[in-house]
Amino acid sequence: METLKSIYEVTWFILLVAAGVAVLIGYLYSHFKFYSRSWFFPAALAAFPLLALAVFGGLLGGYTFKLWLYFLLAEAAIAAFFRSVVKGRHTVPYLMLAPAFVGLALLLVYPFIFEVYLSFHDLKLTTIMTWKNTGTLPFVGIDQYVKVFTTSPLSETTFWHLLLRTLVWTFSNVFFHVLGGFILALMLNNHIKFKGFYRTLLVIPWAMPQVVAVLAMRGEFHSTNGFVNIVINKLLAVFPFLAGLGVAPVQWLTDYPLLTCTLINIWLGIPFMMVVILGGLQSISSSYYDAADIDGASYFQKLRFITLPLVRPVMMPAVTLGTVWTFNNINVIYLVTGQAGGTEQADILVSALYKAAFTYNRYSYSAAFALVVFAMLFFFSVFYLKSFDAAKDER
Amino acid sequence: MATVQFKKIIKKFGDNLVLNGVDVDIKDHEFVVIVGPSGCGKTTLLRMLAGLEEITDGEIFIDNLLVNELHPSKREIAMVFQDYALYPHMTVEENMNFALRLRKMPKKEIAARVTEAANILQLNKFLKRMPKQLSGGQRQRVAIGRAIVRKPKVFLFDEPLSNLDAKLREEMRVEIAKLYQRLNATIIYVTHDQVEAMTLAGRIVIMNHGIVQQVGSPIEVYRKPCNLFVAGFIGSPTMNLLSGRLSIADGVSVFFNESLTLPIPAFVLPQKEARDGREVVLGIRPDDVLVEHPGGEKCSSKIEGVLEVCELLGHRENLYLKVGGQRLLATVEAFFNRSPGSAVSLCLNYQNMHIFDKVTERRISE
Ligand SMILES: Nc1ncnc2c1ncn2[C@@H]1O[C@H](COP(=O)(O)OP(=O)(O)OP(=O)(O)O)[C@@H](O)[C@H]1O
Ligand SMILES: [Mg+2]
Repeated sequence: METLKSIYEVTWFILLVAAGVAVLIGYLYSHFKFYSRSWFFPAALAAFPLLALAVFGGLLGGYTFKLWLYFLLAEAAIAAFFRSVVKGRHTVPYLMLAPAFVGLALLLVYPFIFEVYLSFHDLKLTTIMTWKNTGTLPFVGIDQYVKVFTTSPLSETTFWHLLLRTLVWTFSNVFFHVLGGFILALMLNNHIKFKGFYRTLLVIPWAMPQVVAVLAMRGEFHSTNGFVNIVINKLLAVFPFLAGLGVAPVQWLTDYPLLTCTLINIWLGIPFMMVVILGGLQSISSSYYDAADIDGASYFQKLRFITLPLVRPVMMPAVTLGTVWTFNNINVIYLVTGQAGGTEQADILVSALYKAAFTYNRYSYSAAFALVVFAMLFFFSVFYLKSFDAAKDER
Repeated sequence: MATVQFKKIIKKFGDNLVLNGVDVDIKDHEFVVIVGPSGCGKTTLLRMLAGLEEITDGEIFIDNLLVNELHPSKREIAMVFQDYALYPHMTVEENMNFALRLRKMPKKEIAARVTEAANILQLNKFLKRMPKQLSGGQRQRVAIGRAIVRKPKVFLFDEPLSNLDAKLREEMRVEIAKLYQRLNATIIYVTHDQVEAMTLAGRIVIMNHGIVQQVGSPIEVYRKPCNLFVAGFIGSPTMNLLSGRLSIADGVSVFFNESLTLPIPAFVLPQKEARDGREVVLGIRPDDVLVEHPGGEKCSSKIEGVLEVCELLGHRENLYLKVGGQRLLATVEAFFNRSPGSAVSLCLNYQNMHIFDKVTERRISE
């Protein structure tokens, strides 16, 4: 019975979405097709605002005359836009794009706007019931943004400390991703036997679901049963002098949580860089290396003057992506340290943000926090890609 | 400046025998052109000389120094690649001085050499440009510039003009000829364009299937092709090749097939007795098929033929003739005012007649 009910619900939902898409396409199609007819403008003004009111009125605060007026103004603007700017051109591409665009709007644009709304109001554990009952929230202006920089999202660590930690985390991770990926790609780019086999092995951490990979690795860092400490113990048994050098088993998860997370994340991130860089290496024509050989370049000179500049175009977008992913990587931190009673020593901005929202229930504060993080990443990416474009235009 | 010797060079890619015992001696300051059809191993031979390809067997000497195991940069050669291989992320100037920078040559000297090369090749305007901002011919010149700034002992050119259009190719051909006189270096030049080969070469090496067919000056290989392959490969339009048999009648050697019977004088074919009854191929260039010619001592007697097609080339005209069942191409001065289908008389010039053994494909005439 339960199953049947789920199927019924899913089917109903799919039909609803399909109907929505159909209505949207019909709406756009009529604008594309009849924009120039004399009857279209009044007809559209009469029909569509009423339709919209019927569909959305309940959601957006009652079937009021004011709402209908808004819809009327919107329709007038849209119809004018179709009449004077679009003029029926590019009908098919726009119609094809419309469903995807609506999906994106529902999944990204709406939450984003709601987040902005939240960040200027005050939603937290003490106000959430008022919100539910009255539908209004106290407006607080930029207070939440001030709080982001002045108070701590966690019990111990401040925003600035978290930011610094995040930068160190991001930089060290991306640095080793690129370094490791580059070295592995260089090795795989030679004529070696069983190349495909090695490549497959090396890509596995990336192909596995991250949760599984991280939890498995976390086990290996367990203080008594983990692979890492077992190996250290065996090494100490075989080479006793290592103890004199300070080598000893470590309480990875409690004493060095951030280091552990970093090691795990480096292991996880190398395959992606390796694959991207390997693709770049394979696209470099061998005749450049022939020419460099004749010009008398050594292995490292070829690496520096030929390989690096020529893989840069594929590496830069990958590095940008990798930076954003690492900066925002909550999976590894949360899965390794974030369970109940976990430490705060390894928290970076996003994991602190997660805790602020869902452990401490400071919703508006987290919304502002998330927007600050978003702004940082946005400007970083724009700056990075711009500088990359500039470099590309040079050549 | 340098001699180059190939001694019994063999190259295999796996089981695929690409070069089979190449033996060539190249003298100092010589312009040697290697020609041959596509895939005959020309590039491979050059790359082996440059040190970019393993040598399966045999020895290569540059200036009497065995270079088989020497690193490319130590061989003092410069190579212009078929696809130019200009570094796409460096300016023209950086491309040209890359080798010098690697050698840590003083800046002044580098600048002087680049300027000199740029002057020779008229590249001054382009020094700050990227290769992709250049036309094919300009890229070509940069590739040559990159070679000459290094002042190598030997220049290797691998079909440098094959990517250019016909007119530019002609211009660059002249440029390369001038460059050769100016540089005073040994040049090895690969092409499959026989016009380039004939005009540029001091000596031509003709290759086929990884075997050297003939080595000689352009005139030698044109006048005295040593086998059927060379005869068919060199010369444009292609030489007429007539299959037939030799016999002796009344003490005179005679070539005959179904369409044609032709006495062969002794100055063309000595040792006529030894050749009696052999299957042969008779080669005659279109220029030596004389149409409506008064004849003479060095010419065969008149042969009757039919004109099939005329092709006007401008100052010359190609005539496609038929003698019996045998097709013949003749090249004559324009304008040959006859309509297709009319009968013409022709004779063959004995002075430039070639006879090859059909089995061994070797030349047996003088
Ligand atoms: N790396 C390689 N591996 C296997 N076979 C190769 C390799 N390079 C060349 N060959 C083969 O060797 C033969 C000679 O090649 P090469 O490039 O020397 O020809 P080429 O005379 O330069 O032809 P073209 O005039 O088309 O440039 C060809 O049959 C080619 O298929
Ligand atoms: Mg070639």
